[in-house]
Amino acid sequence: MTNDELITKLKAIVAPYVQNEDAFKNLSKNTDFVNDLKINSANLVDIILDIEDEFDIRLENEDMEKMLDVKATIEIINTKLANK
Amino acid sequence: MIGNDIVDIAEARQKSDWQRPRFLEKLFTTKEQQIINKSDNPFLMVWRLWSMKESAYKLYTQLHPSRFYNPKQFACEIDDSQGKVRYKDFVCYVKTNTTSQYIISEACLVKANMVSECIEIESRLSKNQSDTIKAKLLLTIAQQFNILKEDLTILKSDFGIPSVYHNSKKLNIGISISHHGNFGAYAIV
Repeated sequence: MTNDELITKLKAIVAPYVQNEDAFKNLSKNTDFVNDLKINSANLVDIILDIEDEFDIRLENEDMEKMLDVKATIEIINTKLANK
Repeated sequence: MIGNDIVDIAEARQKSDWQRPRFLEKLFTTKEQQIINKSDNPFLMVWRLWSMKESAYKLYTQLHPSRFYNPKQFACEIDDSQGKVRYKDFVCYVKTNTTSQYIISEACLVKANMVSECIEIESRLSKNQSDTIKAKLLLTIAQQFNILKEDLTILKSDFGIPSVYHNSKKLNIGISISHHGNFGAYAIV
């Protein structure tokens, strides 16, 4: 899967939790879930669970710890997919 | 230093599903999951523990500037109204108040009374909500210290930790801000 395809999938996953639509329209690798998209921290776990379901992977605590922005999230998904 | 966190009960009911598969195991220790399962109202216990973890994280990151997402490692203990949260060798005391509309938790390094003020906010926009709470917080500080509100600003560090500045001088006041759904809270120490 290319990074562009991954970002497209990720965009669909985060969409329901976004509270800043402008930042969402301009979503890039550098977008932060909390600071930019204003996603409530209570919903970060939903994004993590949605990612697990979408990519059929399991994310550990060490993975979750870094998953605050698009870049780190893509890196983690790629690593998990490679190890499948 | 203080950390607080508010949960809008209606918002939590509507926007989160604590019963979805793996939700509890991702966020809560085995012990906490037992507390939730044994509770008369598991839904309220989930969000009480969540707000305890969040308020403790906000206090921890003031002492150790950093940013991460690891709620499960912030382990909660509850006896009566006083709770304790541990993360590695960090320990703090957390008080929680639950009303019919919201749950508010407040973390301190020592046992103390709750100081958070809770407000109902009409706007649903995240930006406006946080502006409303900040304005209220600055007004309170201005009145308390007899200074002009216009000279006060709140700036966040790279790690997202807020501080109050008088003109450009950082004030030695501990603050914490939280908002969720229709409710906001601020604490000043």
